[in-house]
Amino acid sequence: MTDQGTSRRRFLTGAAAAGVGAAAGFAAGYGVRGATDADVVPESVVAAMTAQADNVVPFYGPRQAGVTTAQQERLMFAAFDVSTRDVEELKRMLGRWAAMAARMTEGKAVSDSPTKPAQPPFDTGEGMDLGAHSLTITVGFGPSLFDDRFGLADRMPPELTAFGTIPGDTVMRPELSDGDLCIQACADDPQVVFHAVRNLARAARGTGTATLRWSQLGFGRASSTGSGQVTPRNLMGFKDGTRNVRSDDTAKLDAQVWVGANGAAMAAEHEWMRDGSYLVARKIRMEIESWDTDPLNDQERIFARFKATGAPLTGGDEFTDPDYAALDGQGAPVIDVDAHIRLASPEQNNGLTILRRGYNYTDGQDPATGKLAAGLFFIAFQRDPQTQFKVLQTRLGKTDLLNEYIAHIGGGLWACPPGVSGPGDWFGKALFT
Amino acid sequence: MSVRSSRLWPGVLLTAGTVALTACGSSGTSASSASTAAASGSAAAPGSASGSTQPGQVIVKVTEADGCVATPDTVPAGQVTFVVTNVDAVGVTEVELVADQRIVGERENLAPGFDSTFSARLDGGTFEIYCPGASTERTTFTVTGQAAAQDEDLTALLTQATKDYAAYVDDQISFLLVPVQQMADAIHAGDLPAAQAAYIKARPFYERIEPVAESFPLLDPAIDLRIGDVEQGTPWTGFHPIEQGLFEKQSTEGLGELADQLIVDIKSLQTQAQQLSAATTTGTDGGYQAFEIANGAATLLDEVLASKITGEEEAYSRIDLLDFEANVEGSLQAFATLKPALNQIDPTIVPQISTAFDTLTAELNKFKDPNSPSGWVAYDQLTDADKKALVDALLVAQEPLSAVAQKITQ
Repeated sequence: MTDQGTSRRRFLTGAAAAGVGAAAGFAAGYGVRGATDADVVPESVVAAMTAQADNVVPFYGPRQAGVTTAQQERLMFAAFDVSTRDVEELKRMLGRWAAMAARMTEGKAVSDSPTKPAQPPFDTGEGMDLGAHSLTITVGFGPSLFDDRFGLADRMPPELTAFGTIPGDTVMRPELSDGDLCIQACADDPQVVFHAVRNLARAARGTGTATLRWSQLGFGRASSTGSGQVTPRNLMGFKDGTRNVRSDDTAKLDAQVWVGANGAAMAAEHEWMRDGSYLVARKIRMEIESWDTDPLNDQERIFARFKATGAPLTGGDEFTDPDYAALDGQGAPVIDVDAHIRLASPEQNNGLTILRRGYNYTDGQDPATGKLAAGLFFIAFQRDPQTQFKVLQTRLGKTDLLNEYIAHIGGGLWACPPGVSGPGDWFGKALFT
Repeated sequence: MSVRSSRLWPGVLLTAGTVALTACGSSGTSASSASTAAASGSAAAPGSASGSTQPGQVIVKVTEADGCVATPDTVPAGQVTFVVTNVDAVGVTEVELVADQRIVGERENLAPGFDSTFSARLDGGTFEIYCPGASTERTTFTVTGQAAAQDEDLTALLTQATKDYAAYVDDQISFLLVPVQQMADAIHAGDLPAAQAAYIKARPFYERIEPVAESFPLLDPAIDLRIGDVEQGTPWTGFHPIEQGLFEKQSTEGLGELADQLIVDIKSLQTQAQQLSAATTTGTDGGYQAFEIANGAATLLDEVLASKITGEEEAYSRIDLLDFEANVEGSLQAFATLKPALNQIDPTIVPQISTAFDTLTAELNKFKDPNSPSGWVAYDQLTDADKKALVDALLVAQEPLSAVAQKITQ
């Protein structure tokens, strides 16, 4: 008997346990064991997994990756406090981050320079052999970076003004909110995103430039941005983001997501944000135990979608537009006036929309209450958060039926500058020059 | 032979001991230099280093793939400006131009996407461009034309030594100001680990040039007095009360004013050292004297014997070996500036002292510890036998070095 089937079977077991890591690494080296036909993984599956591991999303370009990139499966998000007061030191760190990101997004170690035995390794090592897994590293600048420390006050765009307290924000926790800088690392492997943030944080800490303020792992994609991607489900079991902006809808992206698209006029002092986008993150805790006792018809009333199919309550399939005017037999709206999809819909908000890129998260169990600590780590990109997210969330925070089962406990707002053009360029260079 | 290991990030991994003992093959290389720093941290345009160079200009391009590459790699003798551009080498934070043990010019704190410039007057000979942490760390750099040192008279050689040393001192003080400022920032922000790291980062720059600081009778006590030396009625200021706060009390509290005053004092040191340098360059009174440099080289080793080997210097942080190594490096650099002149005065003494420095450095390197914040074993971990071995190696260098000043003034 050949061991071909055995090694593939072991590969699949390993893949299931470790995320889809190390396709090549599992392909050989296991002894002959009994294998049935049912154990055999088809060549095509192995090939697909290897291709997924090896896939590289270009880092250099006019716009940062990780916005319209087809959404990857895993997230690590991190917010930083800048500890230095020396703007030159901050700039150099952004230079280091860019050079490191360029390598890590190609699946390479931080540096290939030989490490001497009496020296800590350049790279922490846990990303070795994993592949790039479509890693993207997206960097943003928070409103606090534009205070009096670095002489950037007059470069702050009004779009970046901190929101203050929006309805529903009363339980936001400062230790899970804001930060001078943020990094969004997304990939199809959890260890790849962890490795990326860990090494970037190490470089920031090691130079005395910035320290980690808070961070969040997202274990599963909760929206889809690619035009061919299946709509995933959130932890409430509903299809979320069916009507999200798609990466091939250039006109909508230019109108709603990218700053200064198509040569739109911009103030000279804010020109550095052209081809950037504003990132809003929200850590939204779900009251899982309460939700799980809510009857199906109430759950469906809250979202105004059928749980099984994702179709709106007014009929059709998942991708059918909801009919907000439809009435039931008693003359009441089929889609509740405070249903989640109605309050958030472009139709009900003068056509405004945002690009959602959220992830399901869990922090395990809340040690104080014993309840599951889980929910949605919401991320959205937009051209102007003041007229987009803030307007939407003000409405949702007031009357969304979903509010009974969720709480916004953290997050923040960051300006993600345009892309890094090539070696020698770095994140936000135009802001500092 | 190198004993310097590269560091990953300035500050966190101070495994960089700093004696760059590069033995270049050229005989009698006399690099005369005026290493002047310029445009530190200026942002490099992408690909800016790829173009053609002007006469007297050398582009040193640092890349992940190829390490340090100098274009051109051969120049005629004269004033040379080095534009160091770190394109994408994450592991490289510093570049040095080395001639027969002597650092002719150096830039620190390099990051991908940034460039930095230094210039030097170079005579004919073979040099090495040293980029710790690069995929290729050492590349040869050649200067054609007269190795002027051999032909010039002794007075000219001694004058050149003072200019070289002046440039070295000015560089060290400018490098010192960066971590001292970081330390003050961290203290004001209440960030203890960052303040401790900055303290450790700052100390070697001061210890390398301590004899110069000591020549200003008010400044050295303000900057570097240990508690046992404080006179009654005088406030205790400088590095060491800060050290006590950061490492013994483990707190940044109440240190803000001390840290701010330290910056003022070091800036004052910088101004006064620059006046010395200016006088040295123009040849007016009050500049560095060659015999002083020789004395300084010996003093640095005395300093080690007096206060480092006893463990008094860094009583709270226990980074005595980092200071120890910095004293030795400062001594070696002072000696190296005098080499061309000494080769004329007494050709036997130069190899003798060079070898003694090599031996001392090798002995010292046994105590490197990458897991320690300073990159060195904490001083209270050393046994008496360890200390004795270090003292023995020190004495072998100190003996001939202490005779140098007298040979120069003869």
